Amino acid sequence: MSSESTAAVAIDAGELPMGGGLLALVRPALQLLEPGGVLAVNSLRDGLQDDISVWCKVQQHEYLGHDDATGAEGSTTTRHLIRRGPLSIARGQRETDMRLEPRDGRLTAEEVLSAVPMPDAADPTSGFAPRGAQVEPGGPRYPFDLLNRDHVAPPEVARLYDQAVESQWDANRDIAWDQLPEHHPDLERALDQVFTFLAENELSALYVPSRFVSRIHPAYAEVAMFLSTQMADEARHIDVFLKRARAGGGGLGVSSATTSQSLLTLLELTDFTEAAFLLSVLGEGTFLDLLRFIEDHAPDEVTADIVQRARNDETRHVHFGLVHVRHALAHDKGLYQRLENAVRRRAATMAGAGGVPDALQDGLTILAAGSTSPKAVSQGHDAFRGLLDEMHHNRIKRLEHAGFTSDQAQTLSELHTPNFM
Amino acid sequence: MADETILLGAVAYDPKVVAIWEGIRDYFNESGAPFDFVLFSNYERQVTALLAGHVDIAWNTPLAHVRVQHHTQGQSLSLGMRDSDQDFHSRLIVRSDSGIKGPGDLAGKTLAVGSRDSTQARILPLHFLKQAGADLDATKLLIFDTDVGKHGDTGTSELDVLEALRKGDAQAGTIGDLIWVLEQTAGHIDTSLIQSVWTSPGFDHCMFDALPDLDAGKIDRFRKALFAMTWENPQHRRLLELEGLKEWKPPREQGYDSLRAAVADQGYPL
Repeated sequence: MSSESTAAVAIDAGELPMGGGLLALVRPALQLLEPGGVLAVNSLRDGLQDDISVWCKVQQHEYLGHDDATGAEGSTTTRHLIRRGPLSIARGQRETDMRLEPRDGRLTAEEVLSAVPMPDAADPTSGFAPRGAQVEPGGPRYPFDLLNRDHVAPPEVARLYDQAVESQWDANRDIAWDQLPEHHPDLERALDQVFTFLAENELSALYVPSRFVSRIHPAYAEVAMFLSTQMADEARHIDVFLKRARAGGGGLGVSSATTSQSLLTLLELTDFTEAAFLLSVLGEGTFLDLLRFIEDHAPDEVTADIVQRARNDETRHVHFGLVHVRHALAHDKGLYQRLENAVRRRAATMAGAGGVPDALQDGLTILAAGSTSPKAVSQGHDAFRGLLDEMHHNRIKRLEHAGFTSDQAQTLSELHTPNFM
Repeated sequence: MADETILLGAVAYDPKVVAIWEGIRDYFNESGAPFDFVLFSNYERQVTALLAGHVDIAWNTPLAHVRVQHHTQGQSLSLGMRDSDQDFHSRLIVRSDSGIKGPGDLAGKTLAVGSRDSTQARILPLHFLKQAGADLDATKLLIFDTDVGKHGDTGTSELDVLEALRKGDAQAGTIGDLIWVLEQTAGHIDTSLIQSVWTSPGFDHCMFDALPDLDAGKIDRFRKALFAMTWENPQHRRLLELEGLKEWKPPREQGYDSLRAAVADQGYPL
């Protein structure tokens, strides 16, 4: 063996044969070396050189040879030298000294994100490798196309994910279904129509984010993880709203063509930020006011509880949409115009579709009235008109919060769909 | 105008062969080397087709390579080989309870061997064992003539040899060192039960063969595209992994001397 073959790392392999665990020591030791670095394998096993040299050939390492030394007890130790080959060198630095610190006994996603920050741009050939892992070259290119942090991942996303996980509830167990009172059939029918509408819209809110999850590069996994909680929330809302519509002696109401047209325009969106804006900021934002209205006028505590729980979840979705859009607006000068164009395109598609769907309008009016007496209905109608004003007013506030000017916010709010979502 | 397409013959020893050559065909065509392939069911038919000029290049086993050279009086062209084709060895593997320490202990024992056309599991180990002093006339051979025509490519007869040792049907066996090491790294060998006690001298494996009159442009385009394949390129890497190599190598002939001697000594029909 040549004098240049001084080993940087040596391992004691005892009598381990190639097929008996030897590689579990050799491979990690070689991983620690740079290409060209030399590993010494000290072995008590006869004839190992024939196996280890073939393995080196297959793996494109260089087997430099072996020499023997006799130990104190007369046993012969053979030193095999392997020069690490140039192939399959993983990209990036290996994580070392990584020790996440629990706070109050908790390890949050926010803590992980601060320890392993997201890159500005992501490499589609790293596939599903978790952020922070070393990546062997030669992997295939994945079809992820959301590769830019500033368009995908607001810094608040991990905290929102932590909140979402902590706030999950159970639509089977946590609702006092056995305490749901009997209502007048007219009032129950109005409620059932409202819940039919809510469930239909929540179905769209389940499907729309799902179209983007598979496009998000795993370097920004917290965004996909947050969206998965959002989808789990929507699944629960669909479940609980449909149960409520069927638990009071009535049953589902009507799905309107206006609602259907409006939700299709959401499903057809292909730009992630446009979708977050239209679905979460404008749509779910407007839904917050709708849910508050239903909660305020709910004729029983069970119904109010259902709607309040849903509203808490939706508040988180709106928050994510807001920070997403605000973060993207801060990094992309042309984004405002693209978002306005998206709202205008959607409004053009919806032109002629009419106002708030009739059945929903009637349902909300009777709900707010609490009965079908003309006097009460008159008050219910006033409450409904007040809801529309409230929605417009709060949309403008949310848009300003997202980073739009007052004029921009006014314009966008007026263009928003009469379907609310 | 003559057809510039390089027509290559390969033997379909496994379904993956289709994926390999379709991938290589696409890569060659994209690289400006018009290329197509035909698949044969056995190496004898492929060598006959090459000698008759029905294909331009044949991807041959060592036995097929030696046949082509025999029939062209050594004038055939060798175009390239895999890194993994160089320095093959055969192994004498034994049951630990057999008492066999080397080739000299085989007399009176049962030796499992692979297919009659397997270079690494039959022809060369028997040749080298004899040279190393094994008394093969006094050794009972347990023969696994599986996948004849594939020249040992499938490895089936080598796995049969390993299984015969596991079951105790034979005390010793001959297989190639690649299967021996790969089966060990896959965790398939109980190393307390089966061990290798002897390694043959080295020999080389597969080769791209062509007739001496193959168009120089085709040769040039073939070599250029072949040797431009790299492990770091994901498209290439997928094909290289399937074909079991990390790098294509220029040809060398001395690795086949022992096989030429063995087939002459054993009277193997070329």
